[in-house]
Amino acid sequence: MEYLAAGSATSLTEKLKVLTDAAKYDVACTSSGVERKGNGHSIGNCVAAGICHSFSADGRCISLLKILLTNECIYDCKYCRNRCSNDIPRATFTPEEICTLTMEFYRRNYIEGLFLSSGIISNPTFTMELICRTIWLLRNRYHFNGYVHVKAIPGAAPEIIEQAGFLADRMSVNLELPTAEGLRVLAPNKHRKSILTPMRQIQNGIQANQNDLVLYRNAPKFVAGGQSTQMIIGATPESDYHIINVAEGLYQKFGLKRVFYSAFVNVTGDKNLPALPGGPPLLREHRLYQADWLLRFYGFRAEELLDEKRPYFNVMLDPKEDWAVRHLELFPVEINRASLDLLLRVPGVGVKSARRIVMARRSGSLTFADLKKIGVVLKRAIYFITCNGRMMYPVKLEEDYIVRQLTQEKDRIRFGSDEMSYRQLSLFDDGNFTRPVTDVEQMQVVKGVI
Amino acid sequence: MGWFMVVYRCEASLESIFTAIYQAYEERRDHEDTVLCLTEDPLFFAEDIRVIPDNFKTQKVVNTLNKRFGQENYLSLCMALASEDEDCAQAVYRTIVKGLAGKVGRGHLFDNLADDYVHRAFALARGVSTEIGHIKQFLRFQELENGILYSKIGPKNDILAFIMPHFADRLPIENFMIYDDLRNLFGIHPAGRPWYLLRGEEVEAPLQLSEDELRYQELFRHFCHTITVEERKNMLLQRNMLPLRFRKYMVEFTT
Repeated sequence: MEYLAAGSATSLTEKLKVLTDAAKYDVACTSSGVERKGNGHSIGNCVAAGICHSFSADGRCISLLKILLTNECIYDCKYCRNRCSNDIPRATFTPEEICTLTMEFYRRNYIEGLFLSSGIISNPTFTMELICRTIWLLRNRYHFNGYVHVKAIPGAAPEIIEQAGFLADRMSVNLELPTAEGLRVLAPNKHRKSILTPMRQIQNGIQANQNDLVLYRNAPKFVAGGQSTQMIIGATPESDYHIINVAEGLYQKFGLKRVFYSAFVNVTGDKNLPALPGGPPLLREHRLYQADWLLRFYGFRAEELLDEKRPYFNVMLDPKEDWAVRHLELFPVEINRASLDLLLRVPGVGVKSARRIVMARRSGSLTFADLKKIGVVLKRAIYFITCNGRMMYPVKLEEDYIVRQLTQEKDRIRFGSDEMSYRQLSLFDDGNFTRPVTDVEQMQVVKGVI
Repeated sequence: MGWFMVVYRCEASLESIFTAIYQAYEERRDHEDTVLCLTEDPLFFAEDIRVIPDNFKTQKVVNTLNKRFGQENYLSLCMALASEDEDCAQAVYRTIVKGLAGKVGRGHLFDNLADDYVHRAFALARGVSTEIGHIKQFLRFQELENGILYSKIGPKNDILAFIMPHFADRLPIENFMIYDDLRNLFGIHPAGRPWYLLRGEEVEAPLQLSEDELRYQELFRHFCHTITVEERKNMLLQRNMLPLRFRKYMVEFTT
């Protein structure tokens, strides 16, 4: 094993490469949730919506300087690149190096803040202390006022986690795998309980802090951006139903801000891990994120989307369309009268457009052309809505028909470029050229084989 | 629509357009037959009126807009006027007319999206606001020899005035300047003092970078390269999120 010791000839560049490489499988790179104005004498502010400063070649955003403090680790989690039995170059940053990098990158507007995680050196409490010391230095010596996201290390002493919470904007504890069983097999050193303990502690801390803030306006803020977690998708055999139930539980019982899903990438080649010849299960991850949004912003519950009998998301339809075609008794919805809750359930209508509809219909009744202006995606919505009692085109309210229309791109009602008129059929685009997807293929896509 | 149109010829500045709006009301024009035009395209059967920007009239309009529609909507109108599209003045003018006549409440100016002008002004404001967001994301500073942070941008719309407050709040103790490449406009922020805009100055060629600058650029390039998960590679997604036109100003895409 080659070691990159601090202070030796190893350059900062090498260290940065090693420790970025080690951190890249962590998903959370958000800088949102905190609005903090600059204070006039230190560097930095925070914007509630978050700012992504660049995008890497995989299309994921680069918003924070996402690095590990060290990639040394005493644990041997089967899925992790930094497991102690893996033969990779190791490196450790000094706190000063991290602070300088953060400040210099931030000044040049490369990043929005720091995301600091770490492998476990000697024990969790010691590691957490190192993290805590680093961000203390960053806040108090380097006067950094931007965004800081740190990991709470499961098993660390609660005092240290609390201390870190007062310095960071967001904290996260990774759930890693949705079930205790999966954790036992793949991460023998981690336990469900030790992961949930700091999560509960942070939740209680945020709650208590909010009460304090009511009394004392200038009380120090504890994890103002809330906490998040992430689950690895496709390393263990849990179903989508299982996963979104866990996510819903986390939102409701632990008051999490975000749950991230990470399509499993096999980097260690361990025998207990599935081989994924078709690459990571990205479509499955995408469907889970769509469902996650439905849970958080559209008033859906997990058991509405999936159940024991259909534990996987439809590959062809997004979860909202899938729900809508199974509940045709509620449709069509009259745009000019329906409540906001009901509008939110129409495929093609998002949170913003639903609100705009409610606002705009006060000034007069809306037509399909108006809906287009408002931002409704008509090619998905027209099967489910009426304007002033009329549908845009004659549509059969029938599950099979609508599913066919929604899925077969070539078969659907042909629109012109303005989405408001039929398109002229041409001799060369024969609509019935695709063959239907078989059940076997559908399962394969779900599992990421294709 | 009447027989005769009135055309107010304005410059593409806030002052000029607000003065024209004030004059349209002052001279009791029929708003249906009045056009605010930023170009010199001739209109037949129309009376041309050249607008001379007037500070007093502008201030009156600004106050009215703020009072009637609230600060947020006023800001949206300003954003719409920062747009590069030539119909922005007309869209904003008619939106204001609608708002004043319809007695809309504060913050509700853009509710009636079914109206063509309101929708146009809304869309223009949204476009400009999106670009402001993009520039906040993708602007890159370079440190010069004397410690000043320097950045060059090339936005489609005239948005420098909207991004300066963001960076002034963020980097209060830095000397920085942002140069709008297309409009020859400087935004200058001296450390600890208010920022201002400067038009028409020449850049003294070529800029001397500080010692560490190239090193940090190199580090950031390595960072961007390493953070990519090879198995998830998706250049199309990257291009959707980060349009190519911004890349020529960004250190991680230039060498």
